[in-house]
Amino acid sequence: MTPPDVNVLSLMPILVVLITAVFATVLPFYTTRRGIAGLSAMGLVVALGWTVALWNQRLSSFNGAFLADNFALGFSVILILAGIAAIASSSDGIVRSGSFPAEFYAIMLYAICGTMLLVHSKDLIVMLIGFEVMSLSVYILTSFQARQQSEEAGMKYFLLGSFASAILIFGIALVFGGTGTFALEAIRTAVSSSPANTPIVAVGALFILIGFGFKVAFAPFHQWTPDVYTGAPIAVTQYMSVGVKAAAFAGMLRIFGEALPSVAGWQTPAQFLIALTLMIGNLAALRQTNFKRMLAYSSIAHAGYIGLAVLSSPAQAFPAALFYMAAYALMNAGAFAVLNSISPSDDGIKVDSLAGLGSRNPFLASMLALFLIALAGIPPLAGFMGKYLIFAGAAQAGFYGLVILAALTSAVSVYYYLRPVALMWFAEPKGFALPDLSSGMSRAVMIVCAIGVVLLGVLPSLVTNLVANIGIIASR
Amino acid sequence: MNWVLIAFIFVPLLVAFLSLAVPKASRGKFAVLAGVAHLALGVYIWLGGSSFEKFSTVVDWLPGLGVKFAVGTDGVSLLLSLVTALMVPLGLYYLTTRDDGKLAAFYPLALAMQTGILGIYAARDLILFYVFFEATLIPSLFLLGRYGRITRVKALTTMALYTVFGGLLMLVSIIATRLLSGSPTFLLEDLLRGVRNIPEWQQVWLFLGFLIAFAVKTPLFPMHAWLPEFHAQNHPSGVADLMGTLYKVGGYGLFRFALPLFPDVANNYQWIWMLLAAFTAIYAAWIAFAQTDFKRLLAYSGISHMGLVALGVFSLHPAGASGAMLLLAFQGIYSSGLFLVVGMLERRFIMLEGGDETKEKALDRALEIGRVRGLAASAPAFAGVALLLWFASIGVPGLAGFIGEYSILLGAYQANPWMAAIAVTTVVASAAFALTAYQKTWYEEATHTVADLSPREWRVLVPIVALVVFFGVYSAPALELVKPVVAQLYGIVLEANK
Repeated sequence: MTPPDVNVLSLMPILVVLITAVFATVLPFYTTRRGIAGLSAMGLVVALGWTVALWNQRLSSFNGAFLADNFALGFSVILILAGIAAIASSSDGIVRSGSFPAEFYAIMLYAICGTMLLVHSKDLIVMLIGFEVMSLSVYILTSFQARQQSEEAGMKYFLLGSFASAILIFGIALVFGGTGTFALEAIRTAVSSSPANTPIVAVGALFILIGFGFKVAFAPFHQWTPDVYTGAPIAVTQYMSVGVKAAAFAGMLRIFGEALPSVAGWQTPAQFLIALTLMIGNLAALRQTNFKRMLAYSSIAHAGYIGLAVLSSPAQAFPAALFYMAAYALMNAGAFAVLNSISPSDDGIKVDSLAGLGSRNPFLASMLALFLIALAGIPPLAGFMGKYLIFAGAAQAGFYGLVILAALTSAVSVYYYLRPVALMWFAEPKGFALPDLSSGMSRAVMIVCAIGVVLLGVLPSLVTNLVANIGIIASR
Repeated sequence: MNWVLIAFIFVPLLVAFLSLAVPKASRGKFAVLAGVAHLALGVYIWLGGSSFEKFSTVVDWLPGLGVKFAVGTDGVSLLLSLVTALMVPLGLYYLTTRDDGKLAAFYPLALAMQTGILGIYAARDLILFYVFFEATLIPSLFLLGRYGRITRVKALTTMALYTVFGGLLMLVSIIATRLLSGSPTFLLEDLLRGVRNIPEWQQVWLFLGFLIAFAVKTPLFPMHAWLPEFHAQNHPSGVADLMGTLYKVGGYGLFRFALPLFPDVANNYQWIWMLLAAFTAIYAAWIAFAQTDFKRLLAYSGISHMGLVALGVFSLHPAGASGAMLLLAFQGIYSSGLFLVVGMLERRFIMLEGGDETKEKALDRALEIGRVRGLAASAPAFAGVALLLWFASIGVPGLAGFIGEYSILLGAYQANPWMAAIAVTTVVASAAFALTAYQKTWYEEATHTVADLSPREWRVLVPIVALVVFFGVYSAPALELVKPVVAQLYGIVLEANK
């Protein structure tokens, strides 16, 4: 009997997070909540260090089912940073709604473990495990507060999410039935060598698309998003809109870019889903009066933009998607961090109540303005470069119609992103004043996000140089 | 790397950031002084260059994806940049004379906008051009939003939506142009080489993408609706309007990018584009006639000018194209000057009634044409300067507006006499609305007495008037700058249509 193929080094980033999570589960009996928060953040920083150290090494474990290539590591960096941002935000949340059990951090760390496992997987079963660990943790996080909205959101997310998981598992089973393997590369060879089973694989691919489409909030599977995003504590929404989305997209890119690119039948439905997502996300965001809900719809719209990458060829799509995700993570985590520190309750705030924030609190208002302008995709900030890379990749793959639709809908998005900016800076303050709950740590997160947003917009080659070859290597 | 041009583009932005550290009271002076030094740098480039190629710089921006940071200058870019570099400090100086302590953010925003405009003129890579083109929108919106009037948010939303809508379609066109032409980069010269391989029906769509963006920024009918609101809602001093006038870069974009890239489309459907431009000119002049607000009048008069600029560019004739660039440059001087004159009038009218500038009704009354009449009696020098600028604006010979309008009509006549005939009526119409407004304000029986130009106001207006007269009498220096570029462009267009 041969020992299992385990390269501990390749697992280090995930192991560090996992061990921190175990400590965070046990230690609340002995130490304070602040201590746990600090420990969790520290664990994430160590994991970040390991992730960077493994760059370009391309280590693998479990006979290739787990691969720490640059694609996985790049997404891990995003996931860990999003985790740190969420932990920083959570301490602002405590000022507002009172302390909550310190297990919050443990579960957050388990969620991060799940997302990291998902992006490292080269095998459908490993991917499913990561997917489920992530999902279960986030169901709990969503309903973490003893508020009706929070519990309702958690229940809704759990019921619909389980349904989506079932569809995903069914899809995986069909792909296995058609190809006889779970490994992504083996699926790819099997598909090209035995075309007879293609119909089964194609149906399986559709189910997988739906399963992942639910997690990234593709319309029409987006219905849960606004309610869940609005109901969950803001720090959790922040992680969901960045971390969960990034991980799910990484999984999608892996499956559709590496295993199923030559399977016909999923591309056309995917185009419809993306077109619908772009339209529904942007048009519905126009009508929102709650700022948190507006950001929820806008994150649906962004799923549509990144979705374009799933259709493009991996050589362009992987770097583009990674860049877009990094930019989006910075902009969105920053926006949620500001929202978190000015919200009197976890329900978020009315867009109109932002009026006059610029004169009351110039720091938070200018940060929020920067993130919103970046989200709107106006150059020279990161959002524009991300959009450019995505559009260029999709145009190269020949999807001009979708690119034009994406361009038109992002023109629409300018309206709902600039309205809060206009209110903050150009409107007279109303009688009602928003609180400022920002701690030093969350301010630091905002500043880091802001620097990142400017830097990625002005000097995008800092990241594109690093990730330029991930698609080419991955598609080999 | 040539740092002179890069410095010329980015110094205003740098000054904008530095000025945040300067106390609010002296921020204006700081900005003006820096602006003058910056203008000197521009003049250095002008005097230093028989060949402007030495100022160009190309470095990788997104390596492997063909996006480059490529800036360069030539006669047309330099002429338009110099006008920008001159008018911004003049405008800001005028602003210091009426700074009530609330304008501290105005200076950095205007300077940031200046970098954007200079970047638009210098960019030689289409993605970089797009970045400057859209990024300039942000300070422009903030100027309007911070210092505009009561319905400014509506005006700025309209402006943002128009600009971004057109801009994003242009972005798609830019990406598609590179892919379809097989060009390795987004550099204009590389695209020019490859673009002939694209089938014509595709070129039409690509051209339309560019046209929509530039039609918004020119502006051309039917994409002009944002502009009157933009001017009417902006700060009453007219300095923000001056910045807006300089930001009207659509004509330049058509001249630099759209026509050289798609000469066949421009030529085969020439009458459509010319009709669009000529109709914009006459339509705006006609609407201007009905305006009762000084700023709206100038806004429509500006649209009418821009229709002529577009007509000259679309004429695909060397005379028309040179005229268009000259008109674009000179109207940047006298139209901006007229906005400042309106600002000076507004100041006086507000004082006449002891009104409060922050009150909407008082401002409405102050900007109403014909409510105060007969100012020439009490302010003869002011009347003379204003008359001179109005005359320049309607193209009276001997003043800067004439050479541009005349060349445009000459070129347009060679290309399509009917369109030239439509456009000629614009000149008559603009004389009619301009002189009516002038007569109401300055002549007729005096209803009020106002102060004549103060020394500070003289300092603002003298350079403007001097340039308007100088280039009206002797336009050779400007023409020398424009001619070689036009000849080169016309060569491309001619080559394509052989």
